[in-house]
Amino acid sequence: MLFETWRYIGNNWAYIGRLTVEHLQIIAVANGSAVFFGVLIGIFVSGRGRERLAQLVMYLASIMITIPSLALYGFLMGILSALGLRSIGFLPVVIALTLYGLLPIIRNTYTAITEVDPAMIEAGRGMGMSELQILWKVKLPLAVPVIMAGLRQAVVMNIGIAAIGAYIGAGGLGQLIFRGIANWRPHLIVTGAIFVSLLSIAADLLLGRVEWLATPKGIRTRGRA
Amino acid sequence: MKRYLPMLVALGGMVGLTIWMTNIGQVGFFPLAAPSKLLREVMRHLQIVVYAAALAIGVGLPLGFVLTRRAFRFVSPILVGLTNMGQTLPTLAFIGIFAVVLGLGLQAAVIALAVYALLPIVRNTYAGIRSVDPATKEAARGMGMSTAQIVWKVELPLAMPVIMAGIRTSTVLNVGTAAVAGMIGAGGLGEIIMSGLAMRVTEMVLQGAAPTAGLAIALDAVLGTAEQWLTPRGMKPATEMVFRG
Amino acid sequence: MIKLEDVTKIYPDGTKAVDDVTLEIEKGEFCVLLGPSGCGKTTSLKMINRLISLSQGKIYVDGRDVYQMDVNQLRRSMGYAIQEIGLFPHMTVEQNVTTVPRLLGWSKARCRERTAELLDLVGLSPPETFMRRFPNELSGGQKQRVGVARCLGADPPILLMDEPFGAIDPITRERLQDEFLRIQDEIRKTIAFVTHDIHEAVKMGDTIALMRDGILVQHAPPAEMLAHPKDSFVEDFVGSDRALKALQLMRVRDVMDETPPKVRIDESLETARGRMQELGVNFLAVVNEDERFEGWVNRRVLRRSGEQVKDVMMRYTVTGRRDTPVNEALSLMLGSAIGNLGVVDRRDKLIGVVTFRSLSEAIQASYSEDEDPDEAHAERETAA
Ligand SMILES: Nc1ncnc2c1ncn2[C@@H]1O[C@H](COP(=O)(O)OP(=O)(O)OP(=O)(O)O)[C@@H](O)[C@H]1O
Ligand SMILES: [Mg+2]
Repeated sequence: MLFETWRYIGNNWAYIGRLTVEHLQIIAVANGSAVFFGVLIGIFVSGRGRERLAQLVMYLASIMITIPSLALYGFLMGILSALGLRSIGFLPVVIALTLYGLLPIIRNTYTAITEVDPAMIEAGRGMGMSELQILWKVKLPLAVPVIMAGLRQAVVMNIGIAAIGAYIGAGGLGQLIFRGIANWRPHLIVTGAIFVSLLSIAADLLLGRVEWLATPKGIRTRGRA
Repeated sequence: MKRYLPMLVALGGMVGLTIWMTNIGQVGFFPLAAPSKLLREVMRHLQIVVYAAALAIGVGLPLGFVLTRRAFRFVSPILVGLTNMGQTLPTLAFIGIFAVVLGLGLQAAVIALAVYALLPIVRNTYAGIRSVDPATKEAARGMGMSTAQIVWKVELPLAMPVIMAGIRTSTVLNVGTAAVAGMIGAGGLGEIIMSGLAMRVTEMVLQGAAPTAGLAIALDAVLGTAEQWLTPRGMKPATEMVFRG
Repeated sequence: MIKLEDVTKIYPDGTKAVDDVTLEIEKGEFCVLLGPSGCGKTTSLKMINRLISLSQGKIYVDGRDVYQMDVNQLRRSMGYAIQEIGLFPHMTVEQNVTTVPRLLGWSKARCRERTAELLDLVGLSPPETFMRRFPNELSGGQKQRVGVARCLGADPPILLMDEPFGAIDPITRERLQDEFLRIQDEIRKTIAFVTHDIHEAVKMGDTIALMRDGILVQHAPPAEMLAHPKDSFVEDFVGSDRALKALQLMRVRDVMDETPPKVRIDESLETARGRMQELGVNFLAVVNEDERFEGWVNRRVLRRSGEQVKDVMMRYTVTGRRDTPVNEALSLMLGSAIGNLGVVDRRDKLIGVVTFRSLSEAIQASYSEDEDPDEAHAERETAA
């Protein structure tokens, strides 16, 4: 069986490559929007006088993330078809992944910004920085590594969820596994499992490195990652 | 009570949606699951999750504990590294591989879920016990506690929040993974969702999805409460994000 | 330069932190805001750069109402340093120091030059090394210096400092205080400086503004406040040892005896004994042919056998200068066997002697202007 897998991989490089690209497209679009909205929401709810709103948003996001992906795909199917949109394939999967990706990013943005040492903010303000300058020059640079850590969690988690998304026709490496199970072709299952795992591990390592690079030098605690 | 309100609203919504869909009964040519069948699948789903959790806790707790003992310190970095890496692996890959090795059916599903749940439990048990302040242990020893007493009265209670967080994370996660396991013939709510998806019957998908989500939300709340009970007063419960799979 | 006019601050919860304070800080004045914890020092300071809003009253800087100025312009025109320092950890020392210059749009070259100048000024040399460091690569005292350099960044005429040396060990603090005084001698800023340390206030301030429960109790130069506390609160706050504190404001030249009894090193013991008898003293300062200070003789050592003074004298090389603070002179005296201090000039020539008697006479003189020293003494006794 391992031999079969080996032969299959050797003969189907192009196909596997295409599936990987599909997988990555879903991840890129979903996590791109998750970062965009997540950071905006995180900054917004970290504003003064919005503590209760922040709590609510964080709570909703944490309930959201307990919902199993297959169930969420189901709900999205219901909602999208009610809206007359395509209810299977790329769209519901990207929406689901964006929603899942939001929590780690909102939460990390929010905590990073609210936990910036108040003395630093006071020093900035006392020297005549405007609130916008304090956000840009002090809070955000300090929050970037934490936001990156959130993104890394989100991406790794979403690679796995996107694999399940193949079941509703979104493509990607999950397809190999589902086809292998449906038609009982163990070598397809193994191939899919190997590549989706490799993708996950690679993303984790790569984003770990990015996280380190995005950390301003003065607050790096570890040596070179 | 107020803390649980959003959770109760979400849970109520899921139950309502389930009843609504089940009452529709038939969509075109496709009959939806009858109440008795739905209940059976809910029980089956819960069974998969609970069996897997029991196995994972039964193995993971002692394993995590043993890794903190001096005699095993030399393997712990390797094992902890492995569990960290294992957790980045997609659940679907796990299920696929275990189906290939053990064949289709309940057994493969339970074992796949158990192994996957094992990772956070081992890691958190290890981390939780290691994080106990050596000064606290020394104080306990100085007061004449035996090694066993230190383990039971000091190390485990202090590590409990972190251990419970690991159990909660992995168990809630497995509600979703169990749904995916429907595809390797383990039964459970995943089967209903998947036939709905295959036949493009949204009502059927929802009939399976709503109780699955309800189960996850309820289990998360129950285990969250247990976590708080087991946290010694004066300590903050460890909150950890549940990773979807 | 800075003028607070009937300034009151009431926080939203009703706390009256500052109550009708009127205070004027002249150009070039180093004004220390002093008082017990919670008396409203920080609040007063932060109202000047509008970090805290006023409830009533007016604050003028350079004759202009601060509320008529753009708030960020106002803040960029004054240096601001706080106890927690608040260095930006993601910026290098250079970037930290040039925070305000960069906000003001200075060129890179000018910023670099300014950084070097400032690091040199605060004693972080060589500047090239420190410039590139990050705050987590500095010691506590070095961070504090960078904080001071940062508040001097754009060379503002006014500095607001809230316990800038509060978070460091006493020895480093002492050193930073000295250096800051030296810097202030060079740059002559108008400074409002918060502390609750009376020693720091006496040492650093041209004037002290003492506050209590939001009220400005007395605003006066340290010497005046020590000599003439306005009421019992001030007296208690400056402490029952205020006479001792006043010593650090006096210099040796104010208290020394300029015609000390002395003997040359090559005179005979007989001569020395005779001179003591004649002058009615029990010690003599020993000098050499060039009038250089060599040591002491007293009755006890003169009883030893020998020919000349140099055979029996106590060689003692610890000396004071004209401008040594009297508190330092006192501790030198307490540490020496003879209990006196020789005062010398640049060439070690003896120009005077400080004795316990000359000291206590000088101190009493400074109190006697409108206060009966005996009564003050009695009060201090009971207080102690
Ligand atoms: N934001 C606030 N809201 C309400 N009351 C405040 C606030 N900030 C300060 N206070 C109160 O105002 C009073 C003066 O505070 P302030 O910080 O000016 O004291 P301080 O003299 O600087 O004391 P310390 O030496 O301890 O720093 C205190 O009673 C304090 O509790
Ligand atoms: Mg203060």
